[in-house]
Amino acid sequence: MKQVNLQLFGAFSDLDASREIAVDVAGGTVADLRQALRELLPARWPGFRAGLLDYSAFADQQRVLRDHEALPDDGRVAILPPVSGG
Amino acid sequence: MSGKIIAKVVDRAQAAIDPAEGIAAVSDPGFGGIDVFIGKVRDVNIGRPVTGITYDLFEPLVLNEFTRLAAEVQATFGPKLKLYVAHAKGRLGIGDVAVVVAAGSPHRDEAFRACRQLIEVVKHQCPIWKQEHYEDGDSEWSEGCSLCHVESEPAHAHGHAHDHPH
Repeated sequence: MKQVNLQLFGAFSDLDASREIAVDVAGGTVADLRQALRELLPARWPGFRAGLLDYSAFADQQRVLRDHEALPDDGRVAILPPVSGG
Repeated sequence: MSGKIIAKVVDRAQAAIDPAEGIAAVSDPGFGGIDVFIGKVRDVNIGRPVTGITYDLFEPLVLNEFTRLAAEVQATFGPKLKLYVAHAKGRLGIGDVAVVVAAGSPHRDEAFRACRQLIEVVKHQCPIWKQEHYEDGDSEWSEGCSLCHVESEPAHAHGHAHDHPH
């Protein structure tokens, strides 16, 4: 079990005023984090549009991480919903 | 004359983005062409009156991506190219400058095309989110482009969560 400190951006920032949540993840990959959120979001925030997770990417401080990649050692991960800059 | 890339995020609470700074940044005695894109906050979206926009950015990654994507544009249009990109952060009012992209090059064709390519990837591939504020007091995060598969697609394509005008 690994604990991830998930930084919240865009629509996800509405989940918690601190813009960060702790997530317990059963495995060590980004896909495991996605699965943990798939279970956590509807249970803890039933009003949130949990389907957004399917369109969201994850990143460490330097780059976007793909689902097969390992979670960073420091446990800091950002969730990136669909982007709308400009 | 050598190419360079300037990328920045400007917190609206501290300063406004100045397009003149972008023009100066990509100027060069050897350049005959500079193209500038200025993106501003407009007062309506899909028929709904908008009073302002809040931009949320994942700043370290935004700066990495601006630099990486600008380097790709340089690779396409030549190493002499100078590029500037600045994006606003925080709460903006109607008419405020949200983004400036500038490209300078010896000739106008590369300047136009480089500027266009850079603003498109900034809009579609950088971790920036727009929250619109409406006249009735409501606010909503805009639908946008998913980053889930962006690297595996051709440069001109991008994944969309939903259809949206842009």
